[in-house]
Amino acid sequence: MLKKDTKAIIYRFLITLFIILAINFFLPRMMPGDPFSTTSSTIQGEDVIVLTEEQRMYYRNYYGLDKPVPEQFVTYLENLATGDLGKSIYYKMPVREVIQIHLPWTMLIVISATILSTVLGVMLGTISARNRKKNTDRLMMSGLIAFAEIPSFLLGLILLLIFSVHLRIFPLAGAFTPFANYGSILDQAGDIAWHAFLPVLTLSFAQVTVVYLLTRNTLITVTSKDYIRTARAKGLGEKAVWTRHALRNALLPVVTRTGFVIGMLMGGAVLIESVFCYPGIGLTLQTAVIGRDYPLIQGILLVVAISILLCNLIVDQVYRRLDPRVVV
Amino acid sequence: MTVALHPRGLLRMLSRMGNILSKFSIEGKVGTIGLLVFILMAIFAPLFAIHPPAKITGDSLEPPGADHLLGTDELGMDIWSQICYGARMSLVIGLAVACIAGFGGGALGILAGYRGGSVDQALMRVIDVTMALPSFPLLIVISAFLGPSILGIIIILVLFSWAKPARIARSQTLSVKSQAYITAARHFGGKPFYILKRHIFPEILPILIVSLIGISSYAIIAEAGLAFLGLGDPTSKSWGMMLNYAVHFSAIYFTPYWLWWLVPPLLALIILLLCLAFISRDLERVLDPKLRDRRGEG
Repeated sequence: MLKKDTKAIIYRFLITLFIILAINFFLPRMMPGDPFSTTSSTIQGEDVIVLTEEQRMYYRNYYGLDKPVPEQFVTYLENLATGDLGKSIYYKMPVREVIQIHLPWTMLIVISATILSTVLGVMLGTISARNRKKNTDRLMMSGLIAFAEIPSFLLGLILLLIFSVHLRIFPLAGAFTPFANYGSILDQAGDIAWHAFLPVLTLSFAQVTVVYLLTRNTLITVTSKDYIRTARAKGLGEKAVWTRHALRNALLPVVTRTGFVIGMLMGGAVLIESVFCYPGIGLTLQTAVIGRDYPLIQGILLVVAISILLCNLIVDQVYRRLDPRVVV
Repeated sequence: MTVALHPRGLLRMLSRMGNILSKFSIEGKVGTIGLLVFILMAIFAPLFAIHPPAKITGDSLEPPGADHLLGTDELGMDIWSQICYGARMSLVIGLAVACIAGFGGGALGILAGYRGGSVDQALMRVIDVTMALPSFPLLIVISAFLGPSILGIIIILVLFSWAKPARIARSQTLSVKSQAYITAARHFGGKPFYILKRHIFPEILPILIVSLIGISSYAIIAEAGLAFLGLGDPTSKSWGMMLNYAVHFSAIYFTPYWLWWLVPPLLALIILLLCLAFISRDLERVLDPKLRDRRGEG
């Protein structure tokens, strides 16, 4: 039974992956314009170098854009199999290197936001469940749900306006102070954390509510179970009942859900990075789309899509393993 | 639709809507009034706004004053009228995507659930794959490919949002189909289309309407997000486009301009989305009490 399920899941994963590969390849090629009709120096319109017809042909030939599309697709798959993602037209270096430079920043804020939102969500959920049907619970419930309705990039803009523009506590853009001379590695870490703070906070906001609701509702279900009454009848203190018996069981779905959270955050990071000008792959994707940098668009889309799919796949498996009661 | 056009049918529908509204909580009522204000603002935008939104009617970056209620942007265009006309963009996109994706997806789901067999299997596979695709990164790339047009944005948003209502409609159809009264209707000689229209569709409509509101919020957010990234129609005056221009104005954060250029579209979007969320929550509670119990709320 389980084996058949696993097979179906992996099958679905492969189909989805193939569809992404196909969209990934054909779409950029159907986009209007070509990278050499605008040239590639800067996006905001400064320093535009106009290429002559001769130079354009040279570049099209150099990047293989003058070959028929099916031939390009075969070359693309061949290169992909060897881990070669092509060469970025805008950055003039291999796509893999561009992604390697920017991915760690995205990973940093996504993973920090996952940890923050999980910890905060579980804490708030427990407080809420313990005060069930009291005003604290009601207030937290409606407040957090309303917060979750605000799209995170708008929330990010608000945080940016309040804390960076008005109060000037946090930086406006970037991931570190440019040209800074750090006294020690600790200074450097502090600087990076200071820059990452608002993006991480923004990313976490949307997910906190998901974790919060999950924790609260599972806790409420769990605490009505017989074994909790037994624990209380044994004379265990409230604290022990909540932490050792209730929370432990309620955390199971929460912990496995964090994988889905990572996937969601990867997708949401694009807009957040744009709000804070944070140099992750989301911002790079935006630059690549505007500059018609096909190979780079494909590379980033592939990396993002595969990481989201992989997260979902792993979580799905872990979830089944840990909690056999749940039929997904 | 034919029911709604009939005067008596229209009256019945209005009284039913009034009935639902009276069961709303305060939040829900506030949300409904807010949404009505936005709708009126969109329809009568030329009356609310003194100046045309895309004409230069003042100096560059005028602060709010008597002539320009919310000041002007860097080209000297009136911000307040851009907000009024921007409501049109958001509401039209939300409504169009919700109707096409909600009713289209819903119809597909009902058909698949009712027919069953290989049609159902095929649809479920497509739904699975659609829901597994990472939507926002793909949205960015596809909308860049389709170019900045409102129709293009509506089409891709529909492509990414039909799967959920289809899945809901399918599972609801499956559970309604097995009820005794459907079997009875069939044995009395009811044709499939008659049964779908007369018995199954009305059962599923409430839950479909709740999901319509969810889709319209999603569509409004996605349009604003794409426009914010610079992938919207540059000639249109949408709230997302306003955000994009304001954010990309050099040194906006070092001047007071953001107060009247960036804040208004930001607040407009957030208020509209909150109104929709309040309505959706109350509608869900009123139309389908079973749903609330299942979630273990309260």
